Amino acid sequence: MAIYVELFIAGLVLSSIYSLMAVGLTLIYGVTKVLNYAQGSLFTLGAYIAFLMFNNFPYPNYFIVVILTLIFMAGAGLLFEKIFIYPVRRLPDWNFIVIIVTLGAALLIDNLFLVIFGPLQKTLPRAFSGSFNLGILRITKHNLFVIVVAISVLLLLDQFLSKTRMGMNMRAVAQSEIGAKIVGLNINKVYSYSFAIAGILAGIAGILLTPRTLIYPLVGWPVFLKGLVVMVLGGLGSIKGTLYAAVILGMVEIFVSFFWGARWAMPIFVLILIVVLVFKPKGLAGTWE
Amino acid sequence: MGINKNKTTKNSIDTRYKWGFYIAIFVILIFVPIVYQDNSRIMHILVMCVIWGLVSEAWNLILGFANVFSFAQLSFFAIGAYTSAMLTFYGGISPWYGLIAAGLSAALVGALIGLPCLKLKGIYVAIVTFSIHLVLPTIIVWGGQARFKYSTGGTFGLAGLRPFSIGSFSFGRNRLYWYFAGLSILFLTLFIIYKVINSYIGMAFIALRDSQEFAKSLGVNDYKYKIIVFSLSAFFTGIAGAFYVHYSSIVDPSILELDIFLLILVMVVLGGLGKFPGGVLGAFVITYTNEFLRFTGQYRYVILGLIVVITLTYLPGGIIGALEKLYFKVKNKSET
Repeated sequence: MAIYVELFIAGLVLSSIYSLMAVGLTLIYGVTKVLNYAQGSLFTLGAYIAFLMFNNFPYPNYFIVVILTLIFMAGAGLLFEKIFIYPVRRLPDWNFIVIIVTLGAALLIDNLFLVIFGPLQKTLPRAFSGSFNLGILRITKHNLFVIVVAISVLLLLDQFLSKTRMGMNMRAVAQSEIGAKIVGLNINKVYSYSFAIAGILAGIAGILLTPRTLIYPLVGWPVFLKGLVVMVLGGLGSIKGTLYAAVILGMVEIFVSFFWGARWAMPIFVLILIVVLVFKPKGLAGTWE
Repeated sequence: MGINKNKTTKNSIDTRYKWGFYIAIFVILIFVPIVYQDNSRIMHILVMCVIWGLVSEAWNLILGFANVFSFAQLSFFAIGAYTSAMLTFYGGISPWYGLIAAGLSAALVGALIGLPCLKLKGIYVAIVTFSIHLVLPTIIVWGGQARFKYSTGGTFGLAGLRPFSIGSFSFGRNRLYWYFAGLSILFLTLFIIYKVINSYIGMAFIALRDSQEFAKSLGVNDYKYKIIVFSLSAFFTGIAGAFYVHYSSIVDPSILELDIFLLILVMVVLGGLGKFPGGVLGAFVITYTNEFLRFTGQYRYVILGLIVVITLTYLPGGIIGALEKLYFKVKNKSET
């Protein structure tokens, strides 16, 4: 029985990572209508930056390093928007072209990682070592930390979107970009903020997951793809739906990996994706047109 | 349909120039290999140009003309490759039949993928097709277990595939024969693609691109046309895959690597997204450039990624788009 509880907790950990990834994607898609294929590269970037900081920063306290990395990631998200998205937006059918541009950007960035850091795997420390022992049950402290961080980050994001001025601006642009322009919102600023937040979310996911997977140039791709499936299952643009979907798919992945092996996780995901698209194309929440 | 076919309006290119351009390309493609036939490295590049030209023009048809985000082009390539490889390896049939079987199986898979997801918005198609591309290696490696009678060969693939032969005459390693065999397939494909683009199907896609709601209200069934074009594109790509494995005589999952995906993406984008011979032109330019960039080592893919981003941002029509712009500039100047 204990094994199932442990699997359940491992599933929650994965769900947390996927929800961070998918919420970043959903936020970008909801606000700017860009399907960002480079979200996985931002994930990898976060992990590499943290790795560099841990090895070169004179005062390598975990939390200071993480906060500095996240500030850097916000800048990276902003810069990503300015370099790759902003120049494309003047084109007439940019909604179509931008997807291919982000795909090209992802491959460009990943190959830059390969050039700079080499193909060798790098390790990142965990937030806490050791584990809690509850009778027959063992939970590592890092796993618990992952779940707590993910939940608090998503609650914070929810508060940001519903309470702050910029959050409201972002929701307004998500509903109608033309309407937002008419009432005088600064669309460019909203775009920059969305990408900065998505960069932070990807960075958090990268720092939390890569202590387990190690860092290599393509580490972001599997996580990004699972994030995509989560995003579609949750209903594009709905954060609540994304959370449900992340929990479901995290559990599915853990149990599939436990019974059949980890390499079947992605095929099962694709199967679920196609079944969902056939029978419930609006996803679980279904708020999106 | 036949309206304005022979008249040149302000926004159409004089057909004489268009056909002059096509014929010039045709002549170059015929004569370049005859000059270089003793240089086996250049001949290899030329054969690869033809194969990638086939793939990227088929991709251009679905991505550029039909505006469907299909990222499964290499999956069709791999499906065609494995179909033909396994049929000739285990079944012992002629590679020529393998070529057709490869095209048909890729088209069938294309239709099966297209039926559920082409009804949805473009972004879903992008996600589904791309995840299929990434799942395929797992399935191929799984199919390579020794207990299967017809194994895919796993990560090592199947080696020693038969080359094409006519009667008792085998193509063997003579790249000139391979080049002209590939070129004939390419020309046939280009002819069919040209016909499709200039038929009512092409017209429907232009209408859908210009105003989707209006086209639909006139009764244009985009779902049907998208399925047709999707399967057609998969068919040509499957044939290219089969041709590739018989040429290299080995098939393994490395044909699904992201690097090759990027390479073909660069070809389509640089040649001209949605411009007729763009894919082929891009394939020739990029395959050469790629060989030329070998000395840059790991920076090669960084440069190719940069080409994608810069071309799409500053020259969305690619090479063909730039030529068209130049043509209109000259024409307008001479008229005024």
